[in-house]
Amino acid sequence: MAKENESYKELESRRSPESLKRLYLENLKLTKKAIKESTGKDNLIIQTIKSIEDLKVGANKLAKRLREWYELYNPEFSRSISDHRKFSQLIISKSRSELLKEIGLKEAESMGADIDKKDIDAILLLAVQIITFYDTKEKLEEYLDNAMEQFCPNTNALAGSLIAAKLLEQAGSFEKLMGMPSSTIQLLGAEKALFRHLKTGARCPKYGIILQHPVVAKSKDKAKAARMLADKISIAVKVDYFKGEFIGDKLRKGIEDKLK
Amino acid sequence: MRKSRIFEVFEQKKGKKLIIYTKNLVHGKKVYGEDLVTEDGVEYREWTPFRSKLAAAIMKGYLNIGIRKGDIILYLGASSGTTPSHVSDIVGKDGFVFALDFAPRVVRELVYLCEERKNIAPILADANKPETYADKLSLVDVVYMDIAQKNQAEIFLKNCRRFLKKDGYALIAVKARSIDVTKKPRQLFEIVRKEIEKELVIIDYKILDPFEKDHCMFMCKKK
Repeated sequence: MAKENESYKELESRRSPESLKRLYLENLKLTKKAIKESTGKDNLIIQTIKSIEDLKVGANKLAKRLREWYELYNPEFSRSISDHRKFSQLIISKSRSELLKEIGLKEAESMGADIDKKDIDAILLLAVQIITFYDTKEKLEEYLDNAMEQFCPNTNALAGSLIAAKLLEQAGSFEKLMGMPSSTIQLLGAEKALFRHLKTGARCPKYGIILQHPVVAKSKDKAKAARMLADKISIAVKVDYFKGEFIGDKLRKGIEDKLK
Repeated sequence: MRKSRIFEVFEQKKGKKLIIYTKNLVHGKKVYGEDLVTEDGVEYREWTPFRSKLAAAIMKGYLNIGIRKGDIILYLGASSGTTPSHVSDIVGKDGFVFALDFAPRVVRELVYLCEERKNIAPILADANKPETYADKLSLVDVVYMDIAQKNQAEIFLKNCRRFLKKDGYALIAVKARSIDVTKKPRQLFEIVRKEIEKELVIIDYKILDPFEKDHCMFMCKKK
């Protein structure tokens, strides 16, 4: 009690305008420093994976627009090729007659309208941009691979860099992910279904992001595989957090053997 | 523009709607894109109940929010500073606000606000651990808490015990959905009320529908 009284008095003594001013300046300085120190490697990784996802969405959207636009000029070719990136590259490098020849059609038979060169150039500007989107995405994925390899080797070896990064993104930070039980990791990314289950009693989800992992996706009993993988991921994350020995390949082999 | 029943909060009828304002402490500056209204040379900032739970509580008929000119406030869960900026308007130049939040991302925005307003101090700390920031505060007149945590009542009491002066007021916004999604909000509010009543006296209680879904606000006084 005596100690409590003392701290109460000290707190009370800080209420004067002068000491409030001092507290203002001190807190501002300390907070700025704390914010500076709060950024870790996990923040960078989370931003990287978010960028990759945004690039994916953006590239897809733009590519669809490009096709819609280009089909006015050359509809047959657009139908014959489904890969957006290749499509963009080809329409830049080759002319319409060349492209039509590749799919065995003559220019006169095409449904495409004859438009001015100026108009075609405008379409190709967009195509150039889309290719850079895909290139950037590829480079970022490469960077993510390296970063994950260094930052959390075990999780990376077990789950792959993309899935591990997505789990990190969903959890919010490496520390939070480390503190999660495997059942939570299993359902990361399935929050909507989980809360629907809790609220209305609908069927519960069995997997979230980890469904994208080949071990789970190819397995016959997906729920079982998801449970096992989540279990091992939770171990791997903890090993990584406390900088333990490398056991990622062992963990992965264990699961693959069991599910055979 | 006329004075409302709450200190330093002003109101004006716009058609059928009632809009509340606070006096702008920093002339000509917006904080989050709100409307500025000048009348008789005094600038007022609009306070929307859809973005601020304190404004929602006032709109729902709080007679008193306990915050007066010149008070020192501890604001837990300041986020990027939407409501703290209005609280800082109310307490004025002689008052002070300690704005605390846990997430570095939002405190970064808060720092910009604090640099503009000399009566808010940002603190990056976990409200669950008062001992980590005890040396950065003074004794306060009012504790206001708006954090969506499972054990928010416990955190609230912890902070009131330590930093609130005797007879000081304390406000807590409770988000039912962050305590338990399966239970009914009213049930949860009862549980929270019982927990708070162990140490504080509850003066007022309002559910913040329709401005905030499944939220309520308690106003308490320290014994």
